[in-house]
Amino acid sequence: MKRTLFHGGQIVLGDQRNPVRADVMVEGDTIVDVGTHFTDADKAERFDCAGKILVPGLFDIHVHLREPGREDKETIETGTRAALNGGVTGVLAMPNTTPPIDTGGMVRFVLNIAREKAPIDVMTTGCISRGRLGKALAEIGDMHACGAVMITDDGDPCHDPLVLRRAMEYARNFDLIVGSHCDVRELFGDGALNEGKASYRLGLPGIPAASEEICMDRDLRLAQLTGCKVHVQHVSTARGLEIIRRFKNEGVEVTAEVTPHHLIFNEDDITHYNTHFKMNPPLRTAKDNEELLNGLRDGSLDCLATDHAPHTCFEKNRDFLNAPFGITGLETALASLYDRFIAKDLLDWGTVVRAFCDRPRKILNVKKVALAKNSRADFSIFNPDGETRCDKAFFESKSQNSPFLGKTIKGLIETVVFRGELVLNRKSKEQAQPV
Amino acid sequence: MNSPAKKLRNKDLLDIRSLSTDEIRLILDTAVPFKKLFTRSVKKVPPLKGKTVLLLFYEPSTRTKTSFEIAAKRLSADVANFSVSSSSVVKGESILDTVATLQSMKGDYIVVRHKGAGVAELIARHTPISVINAGDGFHAHPTQALLDAFTLREVFPDLVGKKLLLIGDILHSRVARSTMRCLHRLGMEIAIFGPATLFPPGRPEWIQCFLKFEEAMEWAPDVVYLLRLQLERQQANFFPSMREYHNVFGIDRQRFRVIDERGIYVMHPGPVNRGVELVDEVMEYDRCLINQQVENGIATRMSILHLLHPSNRKRPALAATEDGIL
Repeated sequence: MKRTLFHGGQIVLGDQRNPVRADVMVEGDTIVDVGTHFTDADKAERFDCAGKILVPGLFDIHVHLREPGREDKETIETGTRAALNGGVTGVLAMPNTTPPIDTGGMVRFVLNIAREKAPIDVMTTGCISRGRLGKALAEIGDMHACGAVMITDDGDPCHDPLVLRRAMEYARNFDLIVGSHCDVRELFGDGALNEGKASYRLGLPGIPAASEEICMDRDLRLAQLTGCKVHVQHVSTARGLEIIRRFKNEGVEVTAEVTPHHLIFNEDDITHYNTHFKMNPPLRTAKDNEELLNGLRDGSLDCLATDHAPHTCFEKNRDFLNAPFGITGLETALASLYDRFIAKDLLDWGTVVRAFCDRPRKILNVKKVALAKNSRADFSIFNPDGETRCDKAFFESKSQNSPFLGKTIKGLIETVVFRGELVLNRKSKEQAQPV
Repeated sequence: MNSPAKKLRNKDLLDIRSLSTDEIRLILDTAVPFKKLFTRSVKKVPPLKGKTVLLLFYEPSTRTKTSFEIAAKRLSADVANFSVSSSSVVKGESILDTVATLQSMKGDYIVVRHKGAGVAELIARHTPISVINAGDGFHAHPTQALLDAFTLREVFPDLVGKKLLLIGDILHSRVARSTMRCLHRLGMEIAIFGPATLFPPGRPEWIQCFLKFEEAMEWAPDVVYLLRLQLERQQANFFPSMREYHNVFGIDRQRFRVIDERGIYVMHPGPVNRGVELVDEVMEYDRCLINQQVENGIATRMSILHLLHPSNRKRPALAATEDGIL
């Protein structure tokens, strides 16, 4: 079996704040040894990682792959290629496709295509309700049997509290997690961004933070009532974080995720009606950025997840009110976290790997991926001195609705290894160019 | 920055926020001689001869559109009308396709009104033509604000410290937002009164709020600016009925007596809902400035068209932006 020694670099471990100097020996699809004890006697191909940081394969617990129905925006194939481009080797797909993933058959459809076309691991959620209409339960048992690992009506909240209660009770028969997209439809109204200074400045209807917080409180109280496991999706407000902390302290089995964009951007960044800053939940305030970052540091926010939401140029290139909600994120997540936080000592590598690699897999009961002996060999080789130029050519996704479009961020994923194979290697492209 | 502006910096007029206070004064000062023209029998002057003004109105409008049309024609410009009814598709692609068409016709100005906030800016970024925002959603209506400021300057030569009270649906009013900002810049104190459901969240701190008419009167406003109330707002529970709105917030006979006694001026951007925002007496009041506002609208718009002419501007037109980056 082929052996490769990735030598000279530093590796990130979820329980270590900073990367440690170590070489990684890969044989077949497994890491067989890690350390600094390798010598020339160890027979293996060598891959030079000097000056680079090895990051274990990330897992994004919230992505929209748009297939079936909106293959013009993204497909399972292009979305997972985009994931690889961002060092993500496992994703959990959301069910708000057209038609939605609300039956065992649809679950099988997604997983079959993924098995055939996706270069990484793909798991899928199923809807809580039939048609994602929030009225009748979907065949949760069948979806579970076909492989769904979470149920959610993401894109919308489960509006009727009784339906949500029943779904949470029923999910317990299958040990399924209920994913919670929090907003109150009536308070959300026709809002396009956070209700506050920016909505006044731009003359647009706003979405009050209270909409998300009231629903979050309700969903977690129901989780408490029913004993169900809940995963709160895309938390965007400091008060929401407080609600999560409170219920965690009371022993409720709740996990929560936050997106890089809710840490990096806020409503002041929406300067010229740029729809690449329009998403649901919306960008909130600088104070929320700060508190959410604290929540990530102290573990109250378990996961980082991008909520990768591709849309075509045509759809996004219209007035702010009518443009669809959502931005992509798979390809820029790691580099943007490095650029804005790790490089500035606002976050350490360990925290990022814990939140973006270890915790999501733990929550979904997926085997841990790490830079450790006997782990599957999934990792990316990150160059902290490189740059990610986010032009159209960089994006593997079919869509480029990213706030980073046209910008350059510090840090570059140069190589990605998946199951021991080099599946992405930007360096080789450079080496192939004539001097 | 202390010397008064002699030219406008930007090729467009999109909102009050992007104008400096000096530029506001320049527009108002330049409107004065244009207004004097109206007393002559031949009201035309040649500055915009050979230029084409394209009116792109996605929302119905008689007053603003006619006002722009007259202003353009009095400057000897040619006017072309692209009226798109509100029932047509109003998606981004159509707007930009329309803009490309207008550009191919080599127009010099686009005056645009649309129910989507930011549309004027979207258009301005995609064309070197001068774009004038005639109202975009709830966001801005800068020419209305400027004509309101012009009107008040005729009444109070020095606006500093004078008080302006706006009454009604501030939340959905682009007129309110632009007029408040413009007059605040010129030194007026600003306050609002009306149903609290219609106070806009995220508003700047310099806007005072009154929940009762009596308290608003204690503040001693010099001018009361009435906003039009729309029936749709009742369906959305902003207030229970037009009847109740009129009883609590409208300028009925009793409230008008207070205004009359104190000699407070009354303004309204039009069109007026008689019996809702006000009673008939208000329209006959000698300190009602509504007709002056209309007249000044033409003079102010002439001033803006004149000042946006490339030869009257500081820099050459900004290049149009490419691709899908807004």
